[in-house]
Amino acid sequence: MTSDLTLLTIREASTLIAERKLSPVELTKACIARTQALDATLITYVAFTPELALEAAEAAEVEIGTSGPRGPMHGIPVGLKDIYDTAGVATTAHSNLLKSRVPTEDAFTVTKLRESGAVITGKLGTFEFAIGGPSFDLFTPPARNPWDPARTTGGSSSGSGAAVAAGMVLGATGSDTGGSIRSPSSLCGLAGIKPTYGLLSRRGILPLSQSLDHAGPMCWTVEDAALMLQAMAGHDPLDPACADVAVPDFTEKLDETVKGKTIGVIRHFHETDHQAAPPVLAAIEQAIAVYTSLGCVIKAVTLPPLMDFAAVGLIIMSSEAFAIHEADQRATPELYGEIARDRISMGGLLTGADYVQALRRRQELCAAVAEAMIGVDVLLTAGSPFPAQPIDKVPKWLMYQKPSITMPFNVTGLPALALCAGYEPGTGLPVAIQLVGHPFAETTVFQLGHAYEQATQWRATRPALLAA
Amino acid sequence: MSETISTEAFQVLLDRAGISVKPEHMDEMRSAYMLLQAMRERVRKPRGYDAEPAHIFAPAGR
Repeated sequence: MTSDLTLLTIREASTLIAERKLSPVELTKACIARTQALDATLITYVAFTPELALEAAEAAEVEIGTSGPRGPMHGIPVGLKDIYDTAGVATTAHSNLLKSRVPTEDAFTVTKLRESGAVITGKLGTFEFAIGGPSFDLFTPPARNPWDPARTTGGSSSGSGAAVAAGMVLGATGSDTGGSIRSPSSLCGLAGIKPTYGLLSRRGILPLSQSLDHAGPMCWTVEDAALMLQAMAGHDPLDPACADVAVPDFTEKLDETVKGKTIGVIRHFHETDHQAAPPVLAAIEQAIAVYTSLGCVIKAVTLPPLMDFAAVGLIIMSSEAFAIHEADQRATPELYGEIARDRISMGGLLTGADYVQALRRRQELCAAVAEAMIGVDVLLTAGSPFPAQPIDKVPKWLMYQKPSITMPFNVTGLPALALCAGYEPGTGLPVAIQLVGHPFAETTVFQLGHAYEQATQWRATRPALLAA
Repeated sequence: MSETISTEAFQVLLDRAGISVKPEHMDEMRSAYMLLQAMRERVRKPRGYDAEPAHIFAPAGR
């Protein structure tokens, strides 16, 4: 186990806290110190609140000292993407449009995290309104990748990706409309899950596209993602899309054998539809070899073309986003950064028929994927087709030019986990795979992700920046 | 499908939507629009009158 408190996993820290061998206050102070040392380089936060974090950590310490921890998140420092409402603390979507917006209530998932005893350290940077970035024309610049600060974190949960990889927090919230948890998790070397649509409440999270938006956690390990998801989950009757389902113990299968599990590899997604970079392709083959060695059955799966999912997702996302922003786009377009403004405005050029045809195609794609998954426990493809790009060379219209490899699971609503699968030779940049499960089968997705992490050594490597 | 949209035709679409585009972004927006146009065609498949939209995703067990 590491002696650097900021590099503990949530599981490790919570075990030490429960044994009274680690103080939540000391852990929080270590994360604050790490943030103060690196945030000028990585620009992760839009609102860092160390005083509030220390207050929460002190309260946790007193409570744990008298009655024990509430659970594994008690006393654990976590950050929030700045689209999660926080009562009394500005929630801006990293946009000048909402720069002085201070909510009066917490988002439902923030309430759940506070109830778990998590220590909230502040609000993390995001692509503007979870769509526009990396942008250099907002009130603070975009977050940078701890593995190479000249590179993008991916987005849109950009500050979350950087903060967790840099040990500023042990976990962070993200949101995912087309890949915004899984892209930064992939490019920053994390485990991030977009759970099943409806598992987590969206209430109090600024929307981008209501029928594609998902909340979720981003952590260093798969086990940590399971622990943090546990704290965020629960039925919210005030979110009409939140499913009233029993929340299982997401860690219950972590130590079970995966022998006999069937993994469906969607080769055409990463080999032809959006051809992944060589180190990503190599990592996928290595992952398949690992799963084979663990006794899994590997099967080829063919889905409809990736571009079909991308087209459906982009039309729905653009239409819903424009509907949300229509009044502001017309009245005060100058308050948006260029990328968010232009991407959102494209939705205004679509018609009602375009939207409905995309919804009809969505229905067909959901049915096709459900059929292809019969007899398969999880699907496997790339988490991102490429490692992190230079931050000033991210194409503004990338999602239009190349089909997103994450969007299919927003369109279908299936749980999808991105996890680190190695590092690009030469650059040391993380590469990632993506595991996709059946609806509400997060436990199986975590089981297979955890088995892979335990069989590999990738979690032993942190960004070189942390040793400097 | 034509490979481009004229500035004038694109301006009509912008006007109808009530949005403005900076002149220096007009060409890239027109190019992006043509990629979006291809996606509009892609989601249109031969299907019957009764083909339902996915109004709300309803996973098994919900």
